[in-house]
Amino acid sequence: MARILCIEDDETTAREIVSELTAAGFDVEWVADGREGLVKAVSEPYAAITLDRMLPNVDGLAIVSVVRQAGIDTPILMVSALGDVDERVKGLRAGGDDYLTKPFASEELSARLEVLLRRQRRAEARETALTAGDLEMDLLTRDVRRGGRELKLLPTEFRLLELLLRNSGQVLTRSMIFEAIWGYRFDPGTNLIDVHMGRLRRKLDPPGVPPLIHTVRGSGYALYPAR
Amino acid sequence: MPSIPRVDLSLRRLWRTTAFRLTALYAAVFIAGVMALLGLVYADAAGLLTAQMDQIIIGQARALSRGPAATLPARIDQAESADMRQVNYYGLFSEDGIWITGNVRVLPAYLRIDGPPGVLRGPHFQPGARGLAKRLPWGEILVVGFDAKVLSGLRNIILQSLLVSGGLILVVGLSLGAAMSLGPLRRIQGVQDASQRIIDGDLTARLPVSSRGDEIDRLAGIANTMMAEVVRLLGEVQSVGNNVAHDLRTPLTRLRALLYRAEQSIGEVDPRRPMLEQALGETDSLLARFRALQRIAEIDRRERRAGFAEVELEPLLRDLAELYQPVAEDAGQALTLRIGPAPPIKADRELLFEALSNLIANALKFTPEGGQITLTLSDTAQGPRLEVADSGPGIAADEREAVLQRFYRSRRAPGTPGSGLGLSIVAAVARLHEFGLTLGDAEPGLRIAMDCWPIAPKY
Repeated sequence: MARILCIEDDETTAREIVSELTAAGFDVEWVADGREGLVKAVSEPYAAITLDRMLPNVDGLAIVSVVRQAGIDTPILMVSALGDVDERVKGLRAGGDDYLTKPFASEELSARLEVLLRRQRRAEARETALTAGDLEMDLLTRDVRRGGRELKLLPTEFRLLELLLRNSGQVLTRSMIFEAIWGYRFDPGTNLIDVHMGRLRRKLDPPGVPPLIHTVRGSGYALYPAR
Repeated sequence: MPSIPRVDLSLRRLWRTTAFRLTALYAAVFIAGVMALLGLVYADAAGLLTAQMDQIIIGQARALSRGPAATLPARIDQAESADMRQVNYYGLFSEDGIWITGNVRVLPAYLRIDGPPGVLRGPHFQPGARGLAKRLPWGEILVVGFDAKVLSGLRNIILQSLLVSGGLILVVGLSLGAAMSLGPLRRIQGVQDASQRIIDGDLTARLPVSSRGDEIDRLAGIANTMMAEVVRLLGEVQSVGNNVAHDLRTPLTRLRALLYRAEQSIGEVDPRRPMLEQALGETDSLLARFRALQRIAEIDRRERRAGFAEVELEPLLRDLAELYQPVAEDAGQALTLRIGPAPPIKADRELLFEALSNLIANALKFTPEGGQITLTLSDTAQGPRLEVADSGPGIAADEREAVLQRFYRSRRAPGTPGSGLGLSIVAAVARLHEFGLTLGDAEPGLRIAMDCWPIAPKY
């Protein structure tokens, strides 16, 4: 079971993070104090760290910098009540891997953390093809086949499917998808992502075929290889 | 933002200043005083000279009348020829006024005979000449006159000095007045410039205070103290706002998490599920609204033009159309792009994208099925113009300004979901860029234009 270090001074938030991550199958260790968190982060092996930006004693930014200077590349997800672009950029520049602004939905946190872990596990080897069950995607020829049937995808649909395939079995929230495909970080409102996802699903999962893309209620979408 | 009209230094404006009016008044009073003084001098001197002349006339008349009647014409001729300066007048007339001799040819009828000396009038006499008529014991009339020519000389001198000194007083006084009022006017211009900077958002600007410590300085000092207080209060309000926002974030996160966990922990068919899902939905829309507010504050806080880069508008619009085309199609609406050539602009691409995306989302939301949404890029003389037009119900002319305000929900669509903050975000982005934002009638429908050139912002 992957061990996660949660450095968070607000007890209620910490409890939510711990219970959410525990439910997602992680072994979570919580520290409330920045200095203690820093000591743990540099001395013990963790799969990932969630780090509050503002902490007593040692500031979150300082912790990231010190951990990175110590040559430790454990994925760090920063959680902050400071939502400015500047703050985000600072956090990422200091060595954070992702930045989540409060208020956030707990599913968003676990989804992002899992993506970070997955990115960490995946060797940087360049894949030329992605598969999930009877779905095959050739990244070079841009051919997509499901059960041998060729699918005609528009560029956006292709990128959407690629994102889902690269993170198959993984919940992706709407804002993660919007960020990854369109590169913007604002709240697009409406049902923008749902509409795009709906188009992809109509092509990918025609009626009568076990669906690959699943809606995770309240959270987002996930692609599970057909069983 | 309001702008203060600049003080012009024209004469009309100058005349309105207290200093100038006072100086002009002083000059006028001074000129009147000088006139009175010179007039008095003239009157006194003229009186004295007249008395002297009268004595000379009376003496001459007496001397002439004493001699024998027969030699009088000869004596008169002699006196005339001895008068080298030609200041004397003589005339001898018969009893019934016929000229006998002398350089006065016509008997001045206006002189009372045997009366006191009077002024001699007529073309032959210098102004100020005086004379008298006297009946001699044998009946003839003797006229003696005198003109020292000093009186007219004196009058000329007085008039000249009045003109010169009056002119001098006028010129010196008025230029002094102008100089005295230009100084304060210039300082008021400085005050206006500083005020305009403050209105434009530079809260660090202060009114200029000189070392003189006069009334303007004291007023400026008071205004500066007030300004410092306003800045302090603004800072307090802002920090209260930030703290409120900051303090709300954590509890909102907790609330969302608790509701989510509650929803996860009950069965699929639990009768409480719909209620919990509704609560979760409400919390999510609360969070969305909260984030939108934070977003507006964040955009407003941004350094103007920091992070601006050259943005090509055509690819931006194509990206937007590609993003929203499926949404439009699903809603049975047509999204059309109309792109004309336009130069790139200096802007924050992400914010521009966000603003336009809000406009398109709004258009899609408010336009009924079968509607038409048009995205237009055109080039005008001032710069490129971006337009989003829909065929929906539009916004009444009297509401168009108000919808740019935070939380304003148009009458046109009661019950439509949304934070009511979409247009406020657009307005914040326009404000940051100093772009114009105008709402108009697309006949039917709403047309929102973003004019991508700097204008004085008004919302």
